[in-house]
Amino acid sequence: MTKWLRENLWRHAFAIFMCVFALFPLYLVVLSSFNPTGSLNLTSFVPREISFENYKMLFSSPKIPFLSWVKNSLIIASVVAISSVVIGAASAFAFSRLKFKGKKFGIQLLLLVQMFPSILALSAVYVIMERVYSFAPSIGLGTQAGLILVYLGGSMGVNIWLLKGFVDSIPAELDEAAKIDGASPMQTYWLIFIPLATPVLAVVCLLSFIGTFNEFIVARLFLVEMSGRTVAVGLQQFVGGQYASNWGAFAAGSILASIPIVIIFLSLQKYIVNGLTAGSVKG
Amino acid sequence: MSSIFRGKFALILKIIILAGVTAILSLLAQSAVASGEIAIGVFLIISIFALNFTYFTKISIPLKFFVPGILFFIAFVIAPILFTVLMSTYNYQTGNYIAKDAAIEQVLIRGVEPDANQTTFDLVSGKAANGSDAILVSDIANQNFFISTEDELTALDAGELTINEYGVATTAPGFTELSADELAKSDAYTKVRYTYSDGYYIVIEGQGVGAVFRQSLAYDEKSDTMKNLQTGEIYVDNNRGNFVLEGSPEVMLTPGWRAPVWFENYAKLVTDSRVRTPLIKVFIWTVIFASLTVLSTFAFGLLLALALNRKMHGRRIYRSILILPYAMPSIMSILIWGGMFDTEFGAINNLLGTDIAWFSSANFARAAVLLVNLWLGFPYFYLICSGSLQAIPSELQEAAAIDGANPRQVFRTITLPLLLQILSPLLIASFAFNFNNFNLIYLLTGGGPRNTLDGEIAGATDILISYTYQIAFGRNILDFGLASAISVLIFFLVASISFYGLRKSKVMETFG
Repeated sequence: MTKWLRENLWRHAFAIFMCVFALFPLYLVVLSSFNPTGSLNLTSFVPREISFENYKMLFSSPKIPFLSWVKNSLIIASVVAISSVVIGAASAFAFSRLKFKGKKFGIQLLLLVQMFPSILALSAVYVIMERVYSFAPSIGLGTQAGLILVYLGGSMGVNIWLLKGFVDSIPAELDEAAKIDGASPMQTYWLIFIPLATPVLAVVCLLSFIGTFNEFIVARLFLVEMSGRTVAVGLQQFVGGQYASNWGAFAAGSILASIPIVIIFLSLQKYIVNGLTAGSVKG
Repeated sequence: MSSIFRGKFALILKIIILAGVTAILSLLAQSAVASGEIAIGVFLIISIFALNFTYFTKISIPLKFFVPGILFFIAFVIAPILFTVLMSTYNYQTGNYIAKDAAIEQVLIRGVEPDANQTTFDLVSGKAANGSDAILVSDIANQNFFISTEDELTALDAGELTINEYGVATTAPGFTELSADELAKSDAYTKVRYTYSDGYYIVIEGQGVGAVFRQSLAYDEKSDTMKNLQTGEIYVDNNRGNFVLEGSPEVMLTPGWRAPVWFENYAKLVTDSRVRTPLIKVFIWTVIFASLTVLSTFAFGLLLALALNRKMHGRRIYRSILILPYAMPSIMSILIWGGMFDTEFGAINNLLGTDIAWFSSANFARAAVLLVNLWLGFPYFYLICSGSLQAIPSELQEAAAIDGANPRQVFRTITLPLLLQILSPLLIASFAFNFNNFNLIYLLTGGGPRNTLDGEIAGATDILISYTYQIAFGRNILDFGLASAISVLIFFLVASISFYGLRKSKVMETFG
């Protein structure tokens, strides 16, 4: 017994300590979301009363168009995730399986550029989209379509790079066999590669979805109109410094907005951890 | 199945899609060129050709896979990067934001002066008989009444007018007053310069009031100068985006335009102490912040991985709890922490029984930033370290143990060095990531506390990237030129860190 204690006590103690640290803010936010006063000021760390007032407020208060924020986020993130995988998969396939001039240069350029934090070019993107707005107001600055274009383009480097890594791990024997049987690259791509790669593409698609859902700063610059915002921007602007007054509704909103992401994340854990060791970092 | 991808059906589908895309892009290209955005227009036209050539000819099969990706990549990744470099060589800030011809137009609009007596008239806005915008003006002092349009002035006789109790004419033959609706609908009538006399004209200053002005500045295209028509003073282009008075360059006309100044923005980083001092301060804090974050998250992650690196009760539960901070959308977590650090009602002060104003004091704000980032980041290194610990061949540790090393010695001399070797690229990547961890700083402290009264832009917790954002999009100033120069600087810093990391990871590949 004492041997067990000596060997395991510190492990459990430290693990429990870190678990408390990890759970503390999450517990608090759940607690305040059920707190009827909606105030940041928690009189106790144990719930006295459970009320759904804050959740109700999210869906009924005209001050918080929460549902349209969620809808915007879902639309933007889905469109970006699906299109970027459709476009990126073709490029990744070519990089991984086809032979052509300039391939090495292309890969190196991709590697270099995907290291460039896209936020550094933010003012350039802003100015470019401002000019696009001057002749095509429906896809320029301030529109969701413009935001989708910027995300789609901006994610191209990272996504092709990520997809290429995954594609490299799919054995090439099958498409080589197809090639010997006389299939064109297009046929190989659609009939052999895509069916094989579907699970991988789905994972990258979900990762891209999470990434877009989480994006804040470009969305903040682009979406000025209240009901056109994404969840992230909407909630940030809503709580914007005045934590005390809007806390309850914010807590409820952030829980609802986080649950789907946490579920996707946990179900993709295996792939994400593999991706981590491949060198990508999530914020 | 394969018939979908060859044959008539596929061909028709291809033609329909390409025709649609071509049509949309052509429309966009046309309006881009029409509104003067030549570069965007040219890019769109090249895209149209690239798409059609690639899919209708057999010039290159790989290109068929690449073209959409390449076009997006160029438009939204390469072009902004190049544009950032270009902007960094420009005087591109508040007051020097628009193009030169737009600036000249603005200067001319502002280059007017009232007449010597600053005469004002009562007037009524309306339409003349021919339908053009007109005003019915009552010069009460001189009992003069007239209708004025942009082109002509028609004097009136008081007898044919309706004059109200203030002596202002309200109706005249051939003149239709604008209704309240029409007044509200468009303000075009307020922009007209209505004819007066001797080069003077009347502008509408407010509801029912007009003032007499004349143009004082004129632009001479041939010499590219502005001339003051009354004093004869000449304003010349200073090649930095402003017209300045000949002989005294500090007197300039506003607004200016964006103009190339080559390396001036870069030179400012070094020579201008108002830029240099905060930049150095911010740079030092950025390095400290990124290093301490990597160090703390790695230390806690590693310790956890070691603690849980054996079969024990509750390990799965621990693991699923510990991963939660990483699975949460970071924006939400950061905002939640922001509320917890609230001085008056926040849970942290509540728990500690203190009333620290966390975000008003430089050191407390820095501590808060580091604590929150530890919370956000330790699960990442926990996951990585537990994976890597299993990857280290156990023979090495066993051999050391047989040789009589105690567990601590085994860890210090075998496990840790191997782990560091395996993880160094990730440690570097994490450093590079936190070097630019904009969201954390912006959402938690906004870079503050900063002394806004002194016009300070750099706050105590500002890192380079959030400082750059303040310069480009902040409340007080807007200087895209300087912000771009700093961006380029950061790029080189991050690129060299990343390249170092890359070389390390190559080392790792050969290592096994």
